[in-house]
Amino acid sequence: MSPTTQLRIVGGAVHDPANQVDGEVRDVCIEDGRIVANVSDSAPTLDAKGMVLMPGGVDIHSHFASSSCNHARRLLPEEHAADVAPAPDLLEDWLPRSGTGGTVPSTFTTGYRYAGLGYTTAFDAAVAPSMARHSHAELDDTPCVDGGVFVLMGNDEYLLRQVAAGERVRARDYAAWLLGSTGGYAIKIVNPGGVEAWKSGQRNLNGIDDVLATHGVTPRAILETLTDAANQLRLPHPVHIHCNNLGLPGNSEVTLATMRALSGRRAHFTHLQFHSYGGPGWKSAAAPIMEYVNAHPEVSVDVGQVMFGSATTITADGPVEYLLHKSSGRRWVNIDIELETGCGIVPFVYKDKVAVSALQWAIGLELFLLSQDPWRVVLSTDHPNGGSFLSYPALIQLLMDRGVRQDRLKQVNPRLLTGSALADGLDREYTLNEIAIITRAGPARLLGLKHKGHLGPGADADVTVYARNPDIAEMFASPRYVVKGGTLMVEEGQLRRAPPAHRLRVQPSYDQQLLPDLKRYFEAYSTVAFDNYPVVDLPDDPLPL
Amino acid sequence: MTDRIVEHVTCLGCGCGCDDISVTVQDDRIVAAAPLCPLGQAWLGDGRIPSEVLVEGRAEPLESAVSRAAAVLTDGRPVLVYLAPDLTSQAQRAALAAADLLGASVDSATSETAAYGLLSAQRRGRTSATLGELRNRADTYLFWGVDPTERYPRFLARYALDPEGRHVPQGRRGRQVISVSIGGDRGLPGADLELTLSPDQEIAALSLMRAAVLGVELSPQDPIVQMAVDLAGRLARARYAVLVHDAEPTAERRNPLRSEALIALAEALNQPTRAALCSLRAGGNRVGAEAVLTSQTGYPLAVNYSRGYPRYTPAERPVERLRNGGFRAALVAGSIGLDPTTAKALSAASTVLVGPRASQSGLKSVVAIDTGVAGIHEGGTAYRMDEVPLRLRPPLETSHPTHQVLGLLADAIRDALRKGSA
Repeated sequence: MSPTTQLRIVGGAVHDPANQVDGEVRDVCIEDGRIVANVSDSAPTLDAKGMVLMPGGVDIHSHFASSSCNHARRLLPEEHAADVAPAPDLLEDWLPRSGTGGTVPSTFTTGYRYAGLGYTTAFDAAVAPSMARHSHAELDDTPCVDGGVFVLMGNDEYLLRQVAAGERVRARDYAAWLLGSTGGYAIKIVNPGGVEAWKSGQRNLNGIDDVLATHGVTPRAILETLTDAANQLRLPHPVHIHCNNLGLPGNSEVTLATMRALSGRRAHFTHLQFHSYGGPGWKSAAAPIMEYVNAHPEVSVDVGQVMFGSATTITADGPVEYLLHKSSGRRWVNIDIELETGCGIVPFVYKDKVAVSALQWAIGLELFLLSQDPWRVVLSTDHPNGGSFLSYPALIQLLMDRGVRQDRLKQVNPRLLTGSALADGLDREYTLNEIAIITRAGPARLLGLKHKGHLGPGADADVTVYARNPDIAEMFASPRYVVKGGTLMVEEGQLRRAPPAHRLRVQPSYDQQLLPDLKRYFEAYSTVAFDNYPVVDLPDDPLPL
Repeated sequence: MTDRIVEHVTCLGCGCGCDDISVTVQDDRIVAAAPLCPLGQAWLGDGRIPSEVLVEGRAEPLESAVSRAAAVLTDGRPVLVYLAPDLTSQAQRAALAAADLLGASVDSATSETAAYGLLSAQRRGRTSATLGELRNRADTYLFWGVDPTERYPRFLARYALDPEGRHVPQGRRGRQVISVSIGGDRGLPGADLELTLSPDQEIAALSLMRAAVLGVELSPQDPIVQMAVDLAGRLARARYAVLVHDAEPTAERRNPLRSEALIALAEALNQPTRAALCSLRAGGNRVGAEAVLTSQTGYPLAVNYSRGYPRYTPAERPVERLRNGGFRAALVAGSIGLDPTTAKALSAASTVLVGPRASQSGLKSVVAIDTGVAGIHEGGTAYRMDEVPLRLRPPLETSHPTHQVLGLLADAIRDALRKGSA
């Protein structure tokens, strides 16, 4: 089916929370790649009677299209050999490509597997600006999921200079220039100042008022500057923050301090599970963290759930990967990226019999179950850091089925779970509508994607149809139909069409007086010519701001 | 005719990827380029290339040549697809689409040159940095069996020693330079400390240095131990140490454990200080071929699609299999520098050449389609030795861009396979 044809999806129970539709049986109509109120009686139909309809899934935080991912892929030949991915049986006119899987699948396979899961939009959450050209090439080879990249800025040399000089307007202009030059969608901060501390020998910054010795700036100043920049530029997504001290016991203090520092400002805190550890020693701090989140509507989060099994930790947070390498003895990749950021990789396995892994798993679930506003608490595993995106169905089952959750809880190492809210019994079960919120409507809204995450007229025709199944994990792992932009990708559970994805990016305006100073800076320190730095020939126009 | 000047051309003469070249063009010829090293001069030349499309040595329209190429490759399986270094990443991606459809084996320049280093990094990881980190941060260098001036002529001036870096404002004066020669692999002359090792001392020395860095008590009676302890101390006291080695082969027979021993030492140095390993790589877009292979298949070299999905065959290099008569057909993308045995094997197979000067390769081929050189006639992306993707601004044009020809070929292969299975 080409995007110009019509389609009527008949008789499904529609979960479209953005339009206050909660399981009502109705038809969903598609024309020219968009949702419409009605189509002609002669339009082809899909029978969805007895099934569940939702908008296509939206992944707000994943790592699947970056130079860091490619370093990780290269590190994992044994995973690829164990998870081969023959080319799918696509219909004529579509060029099927083979690949490999594992925790970091190859590009085409990533697109196919997202589609097979009912996801139609995904963002790579950490791209070094100078490596953006590589990310866009990977996105070109990742069909089926529209998407874009978040651009790393929290340790950027030019940005740090502006923060140190108190030049917040110029810092905002620079952020705008950088987003436009890299084809980015949002500003990403990873361990503000801490990556530069790692590269410069200071090793790390542990509190938001610690001073980065090379520049005389604090994480607090970096956070304030970039948060204000994102909001003043009216970016569709606010600043996306990976706090200091990821993965360390007691880090909830710095997480809460960061949230308080930005109080009243719109900000998104990512993979919150990795930042919700009490201290001293290992214990859950999910309750105080969620108490703050629940009380502050300007805050949104994604959880970064840990799922038991193989993972690969990939992050710009160089110091944390060094610590993980030293504590686990596992292989370690570190790439320091000039003037901008870092990159660390350590393959990892979360085991239910390991007390810390069990605690991490429990904390993620507590964050979900203590959340009072699903619109601001998004499902993620920080793929592939907490687990593969392929584990989302199992996670949904844990949220929707109290019995499954309690049975699983009995199997994990309980040593560090004393006093945790989960061990004490959180009886909540997510509804289908809440799942629709945390996997599509919520992230689409937080990303400012007005045409995604809902099924109202004018929305992109991204629709997922699930056959009901008492096994929730099976239901969400194998959608019966998946439509993206009006193209029926998954038909009777099989991927049959793999349309190219759209690029989602922004190009904010900025004061051109920035450029002479920026050019001088490039000439002094950069190894890439200023005129060659911007990524060119990108598909799709930038989103209007 | 008026000269035309194209600024910021990226040179792929070696892996340095200098993108500050100003190229003067007159009558579709390069008449001047600066700043340029001898390797860059050889890479750019005058830019003149043929633009023929040949089938069995006779001129044919592009469409029929592509159709014939598809027939040759689909009828001739098993097929080798070779990615030569002078391709843009866009062309490499198109070549892999054809390889996937054909169930081909894919090889590149890497498998016969830098494979040891890549395999070592897969076994134990690596600590590295982009070249700008060297320029802006490194205060101590260890040149291990390499003098970059001949094979990477602008490396020292652009990246390593001379520039006044952000955290090294004194430039060369702010950097300590240690040079170690290993047999015929000479180190950098003019270093602050110059040492010599015999090849049989090399791996022991690196292991001892690593042990000393990690705090192992070593008995200093042996001169090698003394040297290792001294070097380890100098590196550990650095603010940011960089170990530089040549990942490409030299005339010297090299201990295959060198890469892994250097990786291990660089990793250990991150305990007392910060350190990175810099692996010098040769020219063209060979690093880009590794990046594209990895992103599309998971593996950086030696990929076999014959079972319908990528398999990793680093121990059975496809070019070696070609020499043993293991392929009936071959697609060479780009211009391959060939030893006589490989050239003979390619001539014995049904070979399709798509690349610069394909018509003048001297190989016996069924189809030869001339295209342009990455960065000279074709825009797109190429990767620097440190895996930074660079923009290519071609000063000249080609009538048949490689990625377009290979894209047409992939489509034709798909159609031919469908007809065959219908």
